[in-house]
Amino acid sequence: MKAQLRSELCKLRSTWTVASVVAAMLVLVTLAVLLHGFGLSASRLTSLPDQRGVFTDVGVNLGALFAGLLGALSITGEIRSGTIRPTLLVTPRRGLVIAAKAVTALAAGFVAGVISAGAAAGAGSAAFASRGLTIQLGAGDYAQLILGGGAAAAMWALIGLGLGAVIRAQVPAIVALFAWLLFVENIIGGDLPSVNRFAPGALALALAGQQRTGILHTPAVAAFLLAFYAALAVAAGRTAMTRRDVG
Amino acid sequence: MDSSQQDPDPKSKVLQQEGLNQNSGDEVSTLASADPGGQSDTLAEPTAGTALVFGRRYPQLDHPARTVGAVLESNDFYPGRSGRNHLRVLALAAGLPFSRVEEVLDAVRLVSAAARPVRSYSLGMRQRLGLAAALLGEPELLILDEPINGLDPAGVHWLRTFLRGFAARGGTVLVSSHVLAEVAQTVDRVLIIDNGRLLADATVDELARRGQSLEAAYLELTTADAS
Repeated sequence: MKAQLRSELCKLRSTWTVASVVAAMLVLVTLAVLLHGFGLSASRLTSLPDQRGVFTDVGVNLGALFAGLLGALSITGEIRSGTIRPTLLVTPRRGLVIAAKAVTALAAGFVAGVISAGAAAGAGSAAFASRGLTIQLGAGDYAQLILGGGAAAAMWALIGLGLGAVIRAQVPAIVALFAWLLFVENIIGGDLPSVNRFAPGALALALAGQQRTGILHTPAVAAFLLAFYAALAVAAGRTAMTRRDVG
Repeated sequence: MDSSQQDPDPKSKVLQQEGLNQNSGDEVSTLASADPGGQSDTLAEPTAGTALVFGRRYPQLDHPARTVGAVLESNDFYPGRSGRNHLRVLALAAGLPFSRVEEVLDAVRLVSAAARPVRSYSLGMRQRLGLAAALLGEPELLILDEPINGLDPAGVHWLRTFLRGFAARGGTVLVSSHVLAEVAQTVDRVLIIDNGRLLADATVDELARRGQSLEAAYLELTTADAS
């Protein structure tokens, strides 16, 4: 396992993929939170839930999305480029390959989530302060936002890995992640908030402390459910990888 | 490929497998009857029957990379990763030191291009990088699918010499190729497989004694098989 883990870390470090994805995320998060921070009326930004809502909607949601992309790319990139063949020739135990990918995706996802939530909190707070708004978040709120955002993104990286291993094709896997987080959960959130509470995107927001309608108000339960989804996704990905030909 | 089927003649170290069959599930060694779309899986999980390498299923080998080196496609690289890092990724997984990466880069004459991304490599360079990956673990058996594709005449000559040298040092090479004139110059032994059946298993010398070229033998056997 240790050897495969070192190999997977070398894969991450030896291309520009991770840096490019994180850079794109950082630009997008900063732009989006500044648009919200300066664009929304002051009356909608005075309370703690409102201010935190902006940070989580942008920083945690996009952090989860991009972490999911990193997880999915870690397997679909190998299938697309063909490097999965030499990978499996050296390590024919496919479960071991998926396990090592899960550990690296978990770490990369956590870092991406922390960066995303941190950028949203930093740029958003600066925007609020420049408009003369009183910042309602305390140190504990910021810590939950950033660490919860990191933990949620780590779980989403595993969901992305599992989804990528099942779908295998890069573009459909990426489209599925975007569609779920940016469209499907928005629709469920509007129409069926009681159901949406248990959706993986809403659970990520809950983990980071968001307390709006349609969001679980107990981060511990959200963490447990999200970890359950992540484990389920990785198990499905492992089964798909073990049973199907890689060509 | 069962070890018992390998190389009864110590001089016959380089094998030629011809007409790789596209049906799966034949009783001929599964490696030889692999669907070309799934060779790596045939090493790992055949769709029917059992594929044995040195008497064991591939995933059960203690050190796969130290036992078998295989090149199944000529372009299994991440375009943005350098040749050296491609090999390092595999060396780490196989528990091999980075010094071994430098040795195989030198062996396939890619040291000067090793830091460049693979997207800048010619097809011949990619073939050599694939070969370098297969050689990383100093395997006993090399399995190469169409290794001369994309090589210029100097590259073909180099590969021929390289494979003969590998065999002379005690290794076994299994080459799958459709370029009969070229392989006739390179190999000791020929396996002709068609429609999942082994039609011939002969040394090149035996074919020559029958007054047959490899091409003639191939056409005769496969035409008779088809009719």
